[in-house]
Amino acid sequence: MDRPKNNFRIGERVMSKIRRRGASQWAVAWRRFKKHRPGLFGLGMVIALFIIAAFHNVIAPYPARPHSDAFKPLYEGKAAQPPSWEHPFGTSVMGTDVFSEVIHGSIYTIYVAIMVTLITTTLFVLVGLISGYMGKFVDDVLMRITEVFLVFPSLLFILLFARIYQLAIPEPFWDLFGIKIPVGLTIVVIIVSIFGWPSYARVIRGEVLRLKECEFIQAAKSLGASSWWIITRHIFPNILPQVIVLATLTMASAVLVEAGVSFLGFGDPNTITWGRLMQEGFQDFSTVWWVEVFPGLAVFLTVLAFNLLGDGLSDALNPRLRE
Amino acid sequence: MIPLILGISLISFFVMYAAGDPIKIATMGNPSITEAQRQFLREYYGLNDPIPLQYLRWLDHFIHGDFGKSIYGGRPVNEIIGSLVWETAKLQIVSIVLSFLISIPAGIYAAVKQRTIFDYLISGISIFGISVPVFWFGIILILIFSFHLGILPSAGAHGAPYLWPVFGIRNEILDEIAHLILPATVLIFSSLAYYVRLLRAGMLEVLRQDYILAARASGISERKILYKYALKNAITPLITLLGLSIGSMLAGAPITETVFSWPGLGRAYVTACERLDFPLIMGITMIIAIMILIANLIIDLVYAWIDPRITLE
Repeated sequence: MDRPKNNFRIGERVMSKIRRRGASQWAVAWRRFKKHRPGLFGLGMVIALFIIAAFHNVIAPYPARPHSDAFKPLYEGKAAQPPSWEHPFGTSVMGTDVFSEVIHGSIYTIYVAIMVTLITTTLFVLVGLISGYMGKFVDDVLMRITEVFLVFPSLLFILLFARIYQLAIPEPFWDLFGIKIPVGLTIVVIIVSIFGWPSYARVIRGEVLRLKECEFIQAAKSLGASSWWIITRHIFPNILPQVIVLATLTMASAVLVEAGVSFLGFGDPNTITWGRLMQEGFQDFSTVWWVEVFPGLAVFLTVLAFNLLGDGLSDALNPRLRE
Repeated sequence: MIPLILGISLISFFVMYAAGDPIKIATMGNPSITEAQRQFLREYYGLNDPIPLQYLRWLDHFIHGDFGKSIYGGRPVNEIIGSLVWETAKLQIVSIVLSFLISIPAGIYAAVKQRTIFDYLISGISIFGISVPVFWFGIILILIFSFHLGILPSAGAHGAPYLWPVFGIRNEILDEIAHLILPATVLIFSSLAYYVRLLRAGMLEVLRQDYILAARASGISERKILYKYALKNAITPLITLLGLSIGSMLAGAPITETVFSWPGLGRAYVTACERLDFPLIMGITMIIAIMILIANLIIDLVYAWIDPRITLE
């Protein structure tokens, strides 16, 4: 009878003390990540990109496009100049400094990467969780929809939607607490996100299906845990590493798709993204090649950075998948 | 698979027609057009009816194999697509076949020589292929091989009437090949990475199996083990990916075809989108959907041929 009433609580307290002594899952993953050289390189490049975007007004010698000073090289008679010390990436036919434009474009790239990733990740995690956990009819319906998205080239729909909404942009910028949000770019972001989730939803679904059969989930179920509890406390933490990796890869593909859409002329007409710069230079790229090469290089390095980071994270967080 | 076609046609149709008046957009650059003439054009293309009715009419024509007429120039969409589809198919088939021919030995070799310089080199090239924007890569190739070295044509699928000289020989087949090289390289490069990575992972998995050990123990040549015993088991995911990527290869083509001015479906789709030429957009969308379905059917047959455990229902 002298058994303490809440011995479960005491047990938990002891457990937490034991757990505190060992390295956490994340510390172990970080230790593994530190050994992955390409991953570290990618992380470094991503950090550099964020720094460039944060200080883009300081780094760039000329202001961004709507400002008349952006066309200063034109007034100095230096339009369409090849790269030089003064203009490291040359100047465009319009008489803007390409280096400044690339630096200013980084902020839009980060905006696209983060926003698309937020929306897409939410979608694929939700669909994967619901489809995998509910099974049966819901799973059938969701997976059929996923298949349609997967099998049909989404770029065609993205182009069509982007073109249609390009004609219907109400105003170039929304003012959100003093931050200018480009409306057209946000529309492109939403369109890209809507068509971006299906393949990863299948990956998540597969993970959930595997976890559902695990003994700890069966145990939780037999103890009477609710579905909500199982999903949020048991399944979600277990798919989180996979979600982080897929989110990083989504960033890479988001940057790539946005650049492609802008390059074809279907992007936001009011923001100068890297793809837009390349579209403007495409007319006469045989002579003014630097307008094409440098923004494209920026896209390539950014996508490469996110892909390398994703590879490194994948090795660090999912050791099960390593050969 | 019929619902798939219906679904795709429904989505594109309603999105397009919710967008606005195609006649107004088409005639925007013409200041001398009168409202009455616009009205006549709308009547001519049947754009005054309610949208669901228009869709049903479109569906009826589609079932009878008629996609209507392009808003620009009034050429029948069937004719336009007919003249483009061969060019796209040529480019796609060449790049798919070549990327398979390259990725199979590369993937096998990377798995056999795991953690050697060769393996890292292949991984490096794959991550480069995944990350590089196709349009940028295409432009770089054009700058180097067309403008700087001047050995390959930069645009188009044919050099007619002046055939491109290959080693000084002007020949129609050589001309076609010369035009194919750059766009095919770009397409191969962008898809190769996925194939190689998948095959490498599959081979690593299969080579650990007991029956490979048994085959080695019975003295079967290494070459036969790799290409006959292991490859057949490792290649199935690759074929799944092929089935899924046939659509996206056609979709990857709009950008590549625009860069190389390739007279194919992808570039026509981009121009049609720019002008909101609705009948042409619908036509190309449906043709691509049907091509995807046919491709997937073929893939299912290939599956059953490669893996006898899979039976066709």
